[in-house]
Amino acid sequence: MTDHNDSDLPEGQYKLRLFITGSTPRSTRAIENMRRICAENLEGRYDLEVVDVYQDPEATKDLQIIATPTLVKILPEPLRRIIGDLSDRERVLAGLDIAPLGKGDHE
Amino acid sequence: MNRPSEFSSIEHSQLIELQDRLREAEETLDAIRNGEVDALVVGGPSGQQVYTLENADRPYRVLIEQMQEGAVTLSEDGVMLYCNQRFAALVGADRQTLIGESIERFLAGEEIFAFRRLMTLDRGFGRSAELSLLASNGLVVPVNMSIADLEVDEQMPKVLCGVITDLTRSRERSHELAAANLRLAREIDERRRVEDSLQLALDAAEMGHWDLDLLNNTLTRSTRHDQIFGQVNGVKGWGLLTMLSQFVPDDRNAVNEEFLRAESSGSVEFERRIHRLNDGAVRWVQVKGRTFYLNDKAIRISGVVSDVTERRQVEEQLRQSQKMEAIGKLTGGIAHDFNNLLMVIGGSLDMLDQRVAKNEKITRYLTAARHGVERGATLNQQLLAFSRRQDLRAETICIDDLINTFANLLDRAVGEAVTVKIEAAPELWYCRTDAHQLETAILNLAINARDAMPQGGTLTLKTTIRMLDVQAATANGASAGDYVAVSVADTGVGMTPDVIERVFEPFFTTKEVGKGTGLGLSQVYGFARQSGGFVSIESCPGIGTTVSIHLPRATSLEATEVVADTPVEVRGKGIVLVVEDDSDVRAVASSLLEDLGYSVLEAETGSEAMKLMDRGERIDLVFTDVIMPGEMNGIDLVRAMKIKHAGIPVLLTSGYTAQRIAMAEMAEGLQLLRKPYTQVDLSLAVRSVMKDQA
Repeated sequence: MTDHNDSDLPEGQYKLRLFITGSTPRSTRAIENMRRICAENLEGRYDLEVVDVYQDPEATKDLQIIATPTLVKILPEPLRRIIGDLSDRERVLAGLDIAPLGKGDHE
Repeated sequence: MNRPSEFSSIEHSQLIELQDRLREAEETLDAIRNGEVDALVVGGPSGQQVYTLENADRPYRVLIEQMQEGAVTLSEDGVMLYCNQRFAALVGADRQTLIGESIERFLAGEEIFAFRRLMTLDRGFGRSAELSLLASNGLVVPVNMSIADLEVDEQMPKVLCGVITDLTRSRERSHELAAANLRLAREIDERRRVEDSLQLALDAAEMGHWDLDLLNNTLTRSTRHDQIFGQVNGVKGWGLLTMLSQFVPDDRNAVNEEFLRAESSGSVEFERRIHRLNDGAVRWVQVKGRTFYLNDKAIRISGVVSDVTERRQVEEQLRQSQKMEAIGKLTGGIAHDFNNLLMVIGGSLDMLDQRVAKNEKITRYLTAARHGVERGATLNQQLLAFSRRQDLRAETICIDDLINTFANLLDRAVGEAVTVKIEAAPELWYCRTDAHQLETAILNLAINARDAMPQGGTLTLKTTIRMLDVQAATANGASAGDYVAVSVADTGVGMTPDVIERVFEPFFTTKEVGKGTGLGLSQVYGFARQSGGFVSIESCPGIGTTVSIHLPRATSLEATEVVADTPVEVRGKGIVLVVEDDSDVRAVASSLLEDLGYSVLEAETGSEAMKLMDRGERIDLVFTDVIMPGEMNGIDLVRAMKIKHAGIPVLLTSGYTAQRIAMAEMAEGLQLLRKPYTQVDLSLAVRSVMKDQA
């Protein structure tokens, strides 16, 4: 997965890609959840792309997406996929390797 | 797991990585199993395929259903496979009745062919056309139909999708817009026509247009306006001051006041003089305009301007000629009566001369009295000359011949202080006029020239030829043609325009009392007019004056009569009928004739004379006045005699030769004796007529 390694991205910067399917309720929820999580935890240090697989099915190939919605953490490594509407905040933060705010530092 | 030796070699970090990936895979499976996903992406030979799960395309369906455009899917031959609610509403039908129907059901006549063309156009591209749908309720709905091929699956039959937009509102707006445009275009046309005709009228009237903006003091002008002011190349902005500066200094204040007044009075109209820029000429312009107000404040004055110089000149000429005509009539009337008086005095003197015993004193008195009568007669001739009622003895003469004979006369007339220069014409020019009168006219001009040069100077007598076109001739009250101009130019004091205006009036003189009669130029004027010509004057104070007598050029030279003077009275015999309305004149004429040896009968009117002849009295000669009151004047009498008494000879007399009346009769051999006449004149005339007849 080195081809996704954007070396020009500053240290500590998150590169995220969210795959959705049109305007379904679940896709809509996923977008909203993602934006909230980013705003709360990654303010100023993330780069989020939202891909509609209807419009661009081929974009799923490289990242081996098999279902939508799926959030992919491309950077920092390691690459992680989180499937679903992202309503389980704890799980999303864990997947992104971020300690939730208000809690102790992650080990 | 059955090869623990391999696991032992795996690093701890790698282990964690593997754990994470396992967890991710399990989560994915859970999510799919629990239905937490919308779609599955499956790789295949023809690329990634997206398989949506339940309701994933529902939002699009809602979108299509609720949009304000009609949407349909069509089979290749136009059968509707799907249509949205909006389309059903457009064609006014139930959706259930539409699916499976051909969309051509809602297309009338030619529109079907347009639709079919649309369907078969380049496949794969979107295309559209404007069509009219025929709704179930009979309404025709204008629509735009966009068609695109719906690429679903190679195995599926061909499907097209169409979006139908109702153009009714947009058409209405277009129509409203078009109607508004048309109205606007018509208004513009109308305005342009009005402007064109206004321009045409202004051009025809040779008027310029101007518009004075009072708020920012700018004057907008038309091309014609600038031409009138002699502004050749279109120049910078004008203000009121620029315009005022065009007027002659004497008129500027008045013009300024006119414009100030216009701000309150609402209009402006005046005629003032300008200095025309390109040639410096002084021209009269007429300015007319109207004031425009905004909230009771004058904001601009707009109007027209025209050059009225020529109109004013024509008016001036007309006034002048009317004045001269009136004075001429008055003068002619006076001269007629005056002639009769001179006739009585002169005739009486002739008879006294023969009847009284003479001594030196009496002879002196008689000579003085006769001299007075002669001077009076000369003066009267000039009055008659001015009033154009003298008898012109017109003949064709060569001006140059005459002028050479004038040279000595002029030298004597002007005195030693003045040098006389004669400029002979390069050719011999002829004109038809009275040589004696021309001589008098030139002498009169020479005397005026002399008096204008008390300190001496140069008098130039010159003959030129001038060709006048209709316009130049009309300006001088003459007909177009060639004129021989005899000019007398001096280097004297000159005259101002107001003096020039009056110089031809009888008795108008700038000379001291007793030095001039004021009749010299009047004679020149009357003589020139009566010869069919005119007089022009150019004068400049301090530089000099040139007066030119213009006489119509004659083409051929006629033989000139040579008249020999035989100033001796001739006595005779016979009965003469004297016809004369003035009793004093009649008495004098009778006495003179009796003295000459004739018997005399008298008649006061023409009809009385006819009665005498009708009675069969013996009459050898009728001596009649031409101008008499009553129904029969001298000419009428002659005509009546031609019928009844053609054998009796006639001698006419007049102090007031109305040339027009006399000429026709003169041509028939009638003789005319001019008043006042002496006894010698009378004896010769009577003798001549009776001899002709004998």
